[in-house]
Amino acid sequence: MISESQREAIKFEDVTVIIGLEVHVQLDTQSKLFCGCSTDHGADPNTQTCPVCTGQPGSLPVINQRALELSIRTGLALNCQIARYTKWDRKNYFYPDLPKGYQISQFDQPICGPGQLSVTDAKESFPPRLVNIERAHLEEDAGKSVHDDAGRAKSKIDLNRTGTPLLEIVTKPDMRSAEEAKAFLNELKLILTYVGVSDCDMQHGNLRCDGNINLHIDIDGETIATPIVEIKNLNSFRNAERALSYEAVRQFDAWQEDGKTIGDAPKRTFGWSDAKQETVPQREKEEAADYRYFPDPDLIAVTISEQQIEDIQSTIGELPPQIRERLKADYSLKQYDADVIVSQGRGVVDYFLAVADGCGSGKVASNWVSQEVLRHLGETETEIDQYPVGAEKLTELLKVVVSGDLDQTRAKDVLAEMVESGASVAEASDKLGIVKVDSSEIDSLCQQLIDENEKVVNQIKEGNDKAVGRLIGAARKINPNANPGAVKDRILAMIAGE
Amino acid sequence: MSNPVEPQQVQQVAKLARIAISEDSLAESAGQLNQILGYVQQLQAVELPADVKPFFGAIESVNAIRADENKPSTDREQILKNAPDSNGEFYQVPPVFK
Ligand SMILES: [Zn+2]
Repeated sequence: MISESQREAIKFEDVTVIIGLEVHVQLDTQSKLFCGCSTDHGADPNTQTCPVCTGQPGSLPVINQRALELSIRTGLALNCQIARYTKWDRKNYFYPDLPKGYQISQFDQPICGPGQLSVTDAKESFPPRLVNIERAHLEEDAGKSVHDDAGRAKSKIDLNRTGTPLLEIVTKPDMRSAEEAKAFLNELKLILTYVGVSDCDMQHGNLRCDGNINLHIDIDGETIATPIVEIKNLNSFRNAERALSYEAVRQFDAWQEDGKTIGDAPKRTFGWSDAKQETVPQREKEEAADYRYFPDPDLIAVTISEQQIEDIQSTIGELPPQIRERLKADYSLKQYDADVIVSQGRGVVDYFLAVADGCGSGKVASNWVSQEVLRHLGETETEIDQYPVGAEKLTELLKVVVSGDLDQTRAKDVLAEMVESGASVAEASDKLGIVKVDSSEIDSLCQQLIDENEKVVNQIKEGNDKAVGRLIGAARKINPNANPGAVKDRILAMIAGE
Repeated sequence: MSNPVEPQQVQQVAKLARIAISEDSLAESAGQLNQILGYVQQLQAVELPADVKPFFGAIESVNAIRADENKPSTDREQILKNAPDSNGEFYQVPPVFK
């Protein structure tokens, strides 16, 4: 036993936080996992059920092909080994929203085996972390219970959700902070939406998350571990991060107090209280969970061929990690800027690529897409395919910006007009009275400024190039269409006697 | 036989399966379970050729798969009739949290 004084000498900063996650993803199918009932949200209670999903005697489940395909797709996107032979088992427990008295799940032959996902933080607040995936298995969801909080009235059960396909993705305990766990969840969600297996809508419970957490503490050349806690139903990534950070500190304080380690206490289940902003212990079951899994005799196994895997692989396309690397290597973007674009989804990536290729500058395209375009999408809460200025039109505008014929400020006015009225670059420029200023006009404008501003000219001659800024302001007043960059260069050149 | 089932374990399994077994019949049930397990043990003792792989069902066929298509669900009034208690919209069960 470690003494109290030894414990007190350890600081929280010295301990290692160990986190593993279990993520349930609702797969995007029309029908349920084992029957033809609809998976749509929002229907009247108990209007989307049948003898199969309510477990009536004599009914037989038959597996949904698309659910299998989406599971394989997810597995491939997470670098998982895909099973060539997979089967279903019964997980036995009693709860009112589980009509059969068991859940059809997968025990020892899951559809997806070990895989991995690398998590990088765009702001580099932690080093890249490789998170190993233990497995991903396909199972059916339970129904929904509506309880009377006072515990007096009967509980009401809606079985519409019963039998909806879920893929449960289980990670190894590879994350070392709540921040890493949140980053993992973000990256996972991004990948799942890229490959189109789920909309990951957390508000509808289409992505649900549980976290397992404990601490490893090095003391006298030995590593001791605190009892593991599972935090259930983390219903947003922000709450997941908060709950895990809170729980890490709570476990540290508890250990300092009582010195209990993993051998002294069983795994406990906690929930996150939004109201209290703390993790709270959930009612412990009388006996440890004993699900008595066995193969479901109503279902036969599924074999997956090399050809099927190849066919699915060929439709997956480029994934966020690869796209980020390509944007950095081929378009000279910084990690942060590449991440901004990639995290907006495939639509914004394609838009960016079209504009960058068209205007010839990745950097200019990145600036305009992440600032102007994304700001508009954010303000109007719309998607890129609803943005009034298509990639071709923005390309046309940015070509003029890249060539220097139009300055940033004026170009932003033009874009605003294009967004507003759907005009082309030419139409918008006309409307704003923007005309191209040719070089002889720039020359005479600069000559005029030099003649009228002897003082500034002298300052420049003495080596103070910055003074030219005052002349640019003046140039704008005389001709708002004159490109400030061109005016600046020309004035400096003329003063230098070129 | 190694580790025969004790009456106390029968009680535990019955509880998990929500089966009521009276105190008096625990010993009898334990005896029956031990008979079944004894039979399984006999089977396990059989030497199998190395190329026989384990199987998980009574039939060897695989891949009974359906296309992802909607079929009409059962009428609510109809299906709720199977439940001991409902309010016409929801199934009703005794309060879960007391
Ligand atoms: Zn159904």
